[in-house]
Amino acid sequence: MSSSNRSLAMPKFASTLEFRMLGLAVVLAVILSFISPHFFTERNLFNILDQSVVLGIVAVGMTLVILTGGIDLSVGSVAGLTGIVLALMLKEFPIPVAIVIAVSCGALIGLFSGVLIAVFGLAPFVVTLGVMAMGRSLSYIVSGQRSISGLPMGLQDIVYTTVLGIPTNVIFLLALYVATWAWLTYSKGGRTIYAVGSNIEAARAAGLNTLFYSIFPYVASGALAATAMTFSLAQIMSADPIGGNQLELDAIAAVVIGGASLYGGRGSIFGTLMGVLIMVMIRNGLNLLGVSPFWQGTAIGAIIILALLAERLITWKSRRL
Amino acid sequence: MPDSAPQEPLLVAKDVTRIFGSAYALKDATITLRRHEICGLLGANGAGKSTLSRIICGHLPPSSGEILFKGAPLAIGSARDALRSGIALVAQETSLAPDMSVLENIFLPSYAMPGRLSFFQLRQQAKDILSELGHDHVLPLDMEVRRLSAAQRQLVEIAKALALNAELVIFDEPTASLSPTEVDRLFDIMTRLKDSGKALAFVSHRLEEVFAITDRVTILREGRTVAESLPTMDLTQADIIRHMVGRDIGNVYRKATTTAAASERPVALEVTNLSAPPAVRDVSFSVRKGEILGLGGLVGAGRSESAEAIFGLRHRSGGRVVIGGKELPPHSPIAAIRAGLGMVAEDRRAQNIVPDMNVGENLFLAQLGKHKGFGRGQSARRKQADELVARLGLPADRMDASLLHFSGGMQQKVIIARWLLVEPEVLILDEPTKGVDIGTRQAIYELLREVADRGIAVVIISSDFEELLGVCERVVVISDGYTIADLPASQLSEESLTLLAAPRSSAERNLAFLRDLVATHGGSAFWGLIDGDQFVSLAVAEGKDDARLGLESGHVYPLQETPIPNALAQLKPAAVEEKDGRSTLLARLSNRRGHELGWVGLSMPSGKKLPDPEALSARIASLFETTRDEEIDA
Repeated sequence: MSSSNRSLAMPKFASTLEFRMLGLAVVLAVILSFISPHFFTERNLFNILDQSVVLGIVAVGMTLVILTGGIDLSVGSVAGLTGIVLALMLKEFPIPVAIVIAVSCGALIGLFSGVLIAVFGLAPFVVTLGVMAMGRSLSYIVSGQRSISGLPMGLQDIVYTTVLGIPTNVIFLLALYVATWAWLTYSKGGRTIYAVGSNIEAARAAGLNTLFYSIFPYVASGALAATAMTFSLAQIMSADPIGGNQLELDAIAAVVIGGASLYGGRGSIFGTLMGVLIMVMIRNGLNLLGVSPFWQGTAIGAIIILALLAERLITWKSRRL
Repeated sequence: MPDSAPQEPLLVAKDVTRIFGSAYALKDATITLRRHEICGLLGANGAGKSTLSRIICGHLPPSSGEILFKGAPLAIGSARDALRSGIALVAQETSLAPDMSVLENIFLPSYAMPGRLSFFQLRQQAKDILSELGHDHVLPLDMEVRRLSAAQRQLVEIAKALALNAELVIFDEPTASLSPTEVDRLFDIMTRLKDSGKALAFVSHRLEEVFAITDRVTILREGRTVAESLPTMDLTQADIIRHMVGRDIGNVYRKATTTAAASERPVALEVTNLSAPPAVRDVSFSVRKGEILGLGGLVGAGRSESAEAIFGLRHRSGGRVVIGGKELPPHSPIAAIRAGLGMVAEDRRAQNIVPDMNVGENLFLAQLGKHKGFGRGQSARRKQADELVARLGLPADRMDASLLHFSGGMQQKVIIARWLLVEPEVLILDEPTKGVDIGTRQAIYELLREVADRGIAVVIISSDFEELLGVCERVVVISDGYTIADLPASQLSEESLTLLAAPRSSAERNLAFLRDLVATHGGSAFWGLIDGDQFVSLAVAEGKDDARLGLESGHVYPLQETPIPNALAQLKPAAVEEKDGRSTLLARLSNRRGHELGWVGLSMPSGKKLPDPEALSARIASLFETTRDEEIDA
């Protein structure tokens, strides 16, 4: 058994793709700490976690969607739009209420995509492509093509409060991953997501609620995109209509590096976390080394392709046995 | 007998009609299922058996009709409601989630049930179910289903239905990819379910199985029920076939009339020492032009894998494949096709059909691969295609319809025709009649016969031994990845074939037993099967210093030509003397169901004394004192 067995018993980690990606992340960290003396410092490690928060949260929703065999191209523009909505609501309502409104907004957009995909049978790629264009366009219109600043200082608390020295945004990220992992691994709903992605006919014949679990990932993805943007706003204290640009590509890349199959049914939340960390570490390391931001895309693209190529070669070898 | 006391039916489906598009899949079909009874649901392909099964299980809503379960109307068209009422289906097209483990697939329906999940408990339960099926050792619970073979998937399907503990279970062709041993086990389980008061429906094309397991049969023809709840005991095979097809069918099999000149025809395909571990270890056989060769063996013996390795679909680690004097390179199907090899793979849906292409495009698929040049190269073949279509009875005007709209038998014909279009030298067919009704089967056999008569070498892989013996001139038996026998079909019977195909582990055990006998008593020991006036020698252990007996394993001898004709003719549990003074002691081998496994004999040249018959019988009995799970139904 060369590939993952991610479900019930504790997986035999040594043989899983997720484990190999953990290995890649560690190797990457070791290399970077040799090249740059600034990399392996407490401050920089917290930096990496801090920088992982936005991508990490969005990637959780993307994982759910991809596990059902779908894709959500709209997360970047949903994040942008809900960021603007949040900034505007903060001027009218107290912080918690504004956040709830923004997150509900994201969830509603996800519901819209999910219903079109699951009820009307439209292709996820096309539906979310449409929503992506609409979301970005609306965020320019709602914002009046300007970035919105002057947000209440209290918003910063959700990032800069610390518990036992750990910032709350990092705590939220880790808690989200643990909760999602437990849900996907041990709950009926989570396993139903896998069943829907693996063979929706089998799931239907087994009496599972395929309709709900085909829509839910898009709702979660929309809500999480808005949640991610909330943390982003709290850090930069302004909302820009271009916010969250290309976030969908980073999120899809992280999920795929983490070993998920774009055909659905295969993947894990632990793998996604590794994918996120790998992406962020590369960015962080290249920044420390003073590499031009224009080269970073090339570097990240190359690493994604190399990681998947290596994985394919490894599984080929084991299949030939 | 349960049918002597008429009782309240558990489920009654009345006047069920289902329309697909404008075609009736079912028209006023009726079926009654009772507790303590197994009801066979029969019919030709396209008669509506699967549709009716799926409607009862809520996978499909009927267009009209009524289903009463325990006297109350059943909410129709909801799989969840059907499952909760206690109705389970062992589906034909396996409805498993390939990326999930065996364990999760078995308990998939429990994800929709209320209550807490305990994976620990489920694991225990799964182990119990699988050991009941006798397959705990070959079905690792954590294995992803995509890695399982077709037979193993079928077992997961069955385990899934058993896990539901349903009151009514419909088995839709559950035996299609099972070996005889596994079928036996399944029948044991079905009998147990019946005895515990459940109602079972059994859909199958195999009439022998229907007679072996069902109490009553309901027969569908063209979507209508033509015979309802007839007691199986009162029926003959001919009765059932008459109901199914509405006419009499003669002998299904038509053999080549002339086999005399066969050995002079040139060899078309020669396979020597083929190996592709782990499934294929050492396979050698050859087939001549115009010959139909059968590759027999149990499911998982390495037959399909051998075919794939020959064709280049599977990595070949050793051996030679020669077609028409030219050696084929490993893993290159296109080179195999250009050399004149055609292959109809086992899994029609996954390996043969391109579902998004229409009938015509599917027909020309192999041609597309063989043709060198930029265009599709179809015009040159059009006339040939038209002829083929006419002969196969395919509607010529529906060439642009989706292949999926046709029945399994029709799809198979199209796929065979696909290969005939490229004019192969050798055509390999893996389970060509799997899931095909008896009428279409006959048409396929006739087609293959015709193909062979045109000089094409045909290789048929089949688990249906009756079919192999009926259609093939020669049968090569593969067991555990080794070729172990190569015999003319006329010298084989279903029993001897079953015996030869038995897993090698049992043969090894028996051979060890024979050697042991020779070591203690001297003389020569043998194990074989007596079939009419023939003796099939399966294993022989010759003594060191005694005169040799002169039997060889894997050969078939007319009784009179063996060195021990008297002993084999009398079959007495006592010493029998031959003309030359040789004396032989025979004892019958049989498995726990009393199924004969042949005869074990110990033979001494004249002047040597045989042991006591009682001692030999006792030693043979000890051979079968194995636990149930270890026993091999040789």
